[in-house]
Amino acid sequence: MKFLTKINRNYLTFFFLILSGVTVGGYFILHVIIIRGAKENLKAKEYLIEQQILRTGEIPNLHPVIEVKEAEDTMIQKPLFKEVEIRNELENENEFFLEYSNKIKINDSYYLIKLRQSAFENEDLVIVLALTLFVLLFGAFIISFFITRKTNKTVWSDFEHNLREIENFSLSGRDDISLVKSGIDEFDSLNRVMADLTRKLKTDYLSLKEFSENASHEIQTPLSIILLNLEELLQHDLDEETFTKVATSVSAVKRLSTLNQSLLLLTKIENRQFAADKTVSLKELVNRKTEEFSTLFESKELKVDVQVEQDFVVRMNEQLAEILINNLFSNSVNHNIKGGSIQVVINKEVFKLCNTAKDNSLTDGNIFNRFTSGKSNSSGLGLAIVKKICDTHNLEIHYLKNELHCFVINQKS
Amino acid sequence: MKILIIEDEIELLIAISNYLTKEKYICELAEDFRRADEKLSIYEYDLILLDITLPGGNGLELLKRIKKRQIRSGVIIISARNSTDEKITGLDLGADDYLAKPFQLSELNSRIRAVLRRRKFDGSSIINFNEVMVNADSKSVTISGKEITLTKKEFDLLLFFIINKNRVLTKEAIAEHLWEDSIDLSDSYDFIYTHLNNIRRKIKLAGGTDYIKTIYGMGYKFTDK
Repeated sequence: MKFLTKINRNYLTFFFLILSGVTVGGYFILHVIIIRGAKENLKAKEYLIEQQILRTGEIPNLHPVIEVKEAEDTMIQKPLFKEVEIRNELENENEFFLEYSNKIKINDSYYLIKLRQSAFENEDLVIVLALTLFVLLFGAFIISFFITRKTNKTVWSDFEHNLREIENFSLSGRDDISLVKSGIDEFDSLNRVMADLTRKLKTDYLSLKEFSENASHEIQTPLSIILLNLEELLQHDLDEETFTKVATSVSAVKRLSTLNQSLLLLTKIENRQFAADKTVSLKELVNRKTEEFSTLFESKELKVDVQVEQDFVVRMNEQLAEILINNLFSNSVNHNIKGGSIQVVINKEVFKLCNTAKDNSLTDGNIFNRFTSGKSNSSGLGLAIVKKICDTHNLEIHYLKNELHCFVINQKS
Repeated sequence: MKILIIEDEIELLIAISNYLTKEKYICELAEDFRRADEKLSIYEYDLILLDITLPGGNGLELLKRIKKRQIRSGVIIISARNSTDEKITGLDLGADDYLAKPFQLSELNSRIRAVLRRRKFDGSSIINFNEVMVNADSKSVTISGKEITLTKKEFDLLLFFIINKNRVLTKEAIAEHLWEDSIDLSDSYDFIYTHLNNIRRKIKLAGGTDYIKTIYGMGYKFTDK
């Protein structure tokens, strides 16, 4: 949920809670006040009637609001307020009245006084007042809501711009991050922290990148010298034992160099030094690689079957895509048996490569680990590189073993 | 053929120049940027072997100067970085080839010959070895005038052998020449054997001699001795 939406949602929730609370509460308070007013009003009328009887001896009567009659008994009665229902003949319906009844003594005679006031009018007034309260509050809230929203939008727009900037920031890109100054202390200090952080990340990243390239250089140079010298040695007339020793040293040096390069490649992939900047068609790539590998397939008498149901297109680095298929193909040739087979199935979402192979004890859990190899003299890095390439390109790879050994690649959902 | 070798590692510089001298090239050496720049401004070379990391400057900078001065020499970059970016930059700047360290001398020789051939410094793209005649341009091979048909890989392999005649070639060197380093072959060198057998059979069928000798099962040599 967006920050502003969250704020607005909270605001609206509270607004409705408060509004209904205030309206309901206001209704009851007004109700009490108005009833009290009505009661005082009735008492004042009683006084007026008392005065009139005293002065003129006339007993006023006005049904249903004023009812005065001489009492027959002299029992003292306390003044009493109650609600009564009286039939209104004009409108032919029952109406509620607030009734005040009292017995008072005027010039030695007792009078029973009943004064009434329509409760209906009181109620109307309360409702009108409560509604007015509601409308005023609602208006005020709505106006303040829109004003706050507009201010928030302006205040947060710089923040959102910066957020987008951070999202698009790439370590391998050339540009430094450029954040907009908003003039708000909290945001500006966040910008400062972000700018420092990205600058630090970038220098670390670059020094790591430089280190891996320098390490490669430092190791490959002495290896070159060893290799050239050994190669020159081989040109002399050597007996079989010496020749074998030199030749195996040559292959050991080559393996060391390959190992070094593979480890560097893994590091570079981990550091995401390869931009996923091409749309790669696995169909085209596999066809090209099948062509390249054809002599290798022939030499092991492998039957190769490529089935393309639909093209699997993936956004990735071209060089890494090549390495991915190279390594999988090399693997399926290296571990294959003479006269075996390789099956490739490509459809829109799945790439599957199955091959016959000697039995091994490897599982989906460990086959992709570094230096795990079914064979003693392979580097054990080929599949680790494959896995790393998949991991960094939102692809999933699994190893399945039934009669055939299969690698299945699909897009991570 | 005159070659300038620019390389800061003295051991490497000597090994390369010894080998190329044996291959009848005239070699001049430069172990840093300044000396290389100086030599390039005075003399003319058919080919320059250029290391990227040099004391006193970057090899790519030197390459820019070479192109700016319109020096006609072929340029092969030899770099230990084996970085694709660097390779692309180098080729864009006008280098003819890019060879990653560690390389084998037989491979270097093959690349040098290819560049010289492309630049027509050699005059001819036809290489003879007794009755075997290889035309690198048309990719055809004749045995005593009789043409034989080879696959692309077989042709590359035969050319590699003839260029490095009388030299022991390891299986690794052959595999790498045919596949560069794109394929992790570990121990699967059976295919070399298959290719060699095909070449031998085709040459013999055309009445030629089998010049490919196996050395103790670990290397090969193309020789008539």
